[in-house]
Amino acid sequence: MKNITDSFLCLGYWPSAGSFGFNTDILATNPINLSIVLGVLVFFGKGVLSDLLDNRKQRILRTIRNSEELREGAIEQLEKAQARLRKVETEADRFRVNGYSEIEREKLNLINSIYTTLEQLENYKNEAIHFEQQRVINQVRQRVLQQALQGALGTLNSCLNNELHFRTVNVNIGIFGTMKEKKN
Amino acid sequence: MNVLLCSINTLKRLYDISAVEVGQHFYWQIGSFQVHAQVLITSWVVIAFLLVSAILVIRNLQTIPTFGQNFFEYVLEFIRDVSKTQIGEDYGPWVPFIGTMFLFIFVSNWSGALLPWKIIQLPHGELAAPTNDINTTVALALLTSVAYFYAGLSKKGLAYFSKYIQPTPILLPINILEDFTKPLSLSFRLFGNILADELVVVVLVSLVPLVVPIPVMFLGLFTSGIQALIFATLAAAYIGESMEGHH
Repeated sequence: MKNITDSFLCLGYWPSAGSFGFNTDILATNPINLSIVLGVLVFFGKGVLSDLLDNRKQRILRTIRNSEELREGAIEQLEKAQARLRKVETEADRFRVNGYSEIEREKLNLINSIYTTLEQLENYKNEAIHFEQQRVINQVRQRVLQQALQGALGTLNSCLNNELHFRTVNVNIGIFGTMKEKKN
Repeated sequence: MNVLLCSINTLKRLYDISAVEVGQHFYWQIGSFQVHAQVLITSWVVIAFLLVSAILVIRNLQTIPTFGQNFFEYVLEFIRDVSKTQIGEDYGPWVPFIGTMFLFIFVSNWSGALLPWKIIQLPHGELAAPTNDINTTVALALLTSVAYFYAGLSKKGLAYFSKYIQPTPILLPINILEDFTKPLSLSFRLFGNILADELVVVVLVSLVPLVVPIPVMFLGLFTSGIQALIFATLAAAYIGESMEGHH
């Protein structure tokens, strides 16, 4: 250490222009003022700077903590939502199964009732047809009978004279007399 | 006769105390060029300081920053904010450039004002802030010029040159002139501020060495910091201006 300072002092004794060296003239190299300036700068600057940097650090810490908490909250909500989803899904399944069986039952009921109604309508139809048939047959019979009677009447009127009439009445009296005897 | 000799001697002694060397440089010969070695040396010191401090801080990055990392992150946020305000949306690629400008100029200005360079004596000239040499500031200003040309050309292609006739074609000569005055003003503003502050301090020190220069030194610190900020902000503003209007 002493050697180094000795060599520095040597260099200081060299002439002050035209060569390398160390200038030890205190008044020219200005170390006093520089050190005062540096001292004041460091003194005030350190306070300001560490305030700024502390604020920044606190802000970073707070942001990290906030985001951690938000993340925790979000995970919790996710869990809750998933549990609810599962519950709702099982209920929906149950409803679906129940619903299908009910639908089947309703369908069968409806089909049965329709069948019975259908049968009733068939019966009515058949009865109506039968009834119409009978009516028509009766009508036809009546017409035929009328025709026959008209024909017989016509024949009788055409070929009926007094003698035939007399003989027919006699036969009829004889028949009625026999019938009355049989009844007695 | 004696009185005259005495006064001449005192004048000479005063001259010895108050010698201020301006304009005399320490030359190195590189190839066929003479370079100002004192500016190179101080520039290297500034660059070494910036690189070493950055490397020391980056080595162990953590989520909750330590003091150094916090400080550098704060500076980075500041520079990003400046770029974003001036350039606008695609400010990302330009942050390193603006940051380099700002940090180099700031550290070199403050190193010139705070470090006791005069302790080291050179054969000719003296060590001081590298930005007190017009060559340094012109180099920085030309870099800024190239940067904003590159920004405009890479974003708009040859349509960049339509900005010369932008509001009206009558302003064409003024717009062309602007391309020359922008680097000129940048370089001279910085050079003038730094050299002038340095000269004032040296003259005051040579007159009253002890306490009087101190307010001027504080003023010098303040203005040199502001000059660094102004240079960086103007560089960003020129880049933003040449990139804007891309509809």
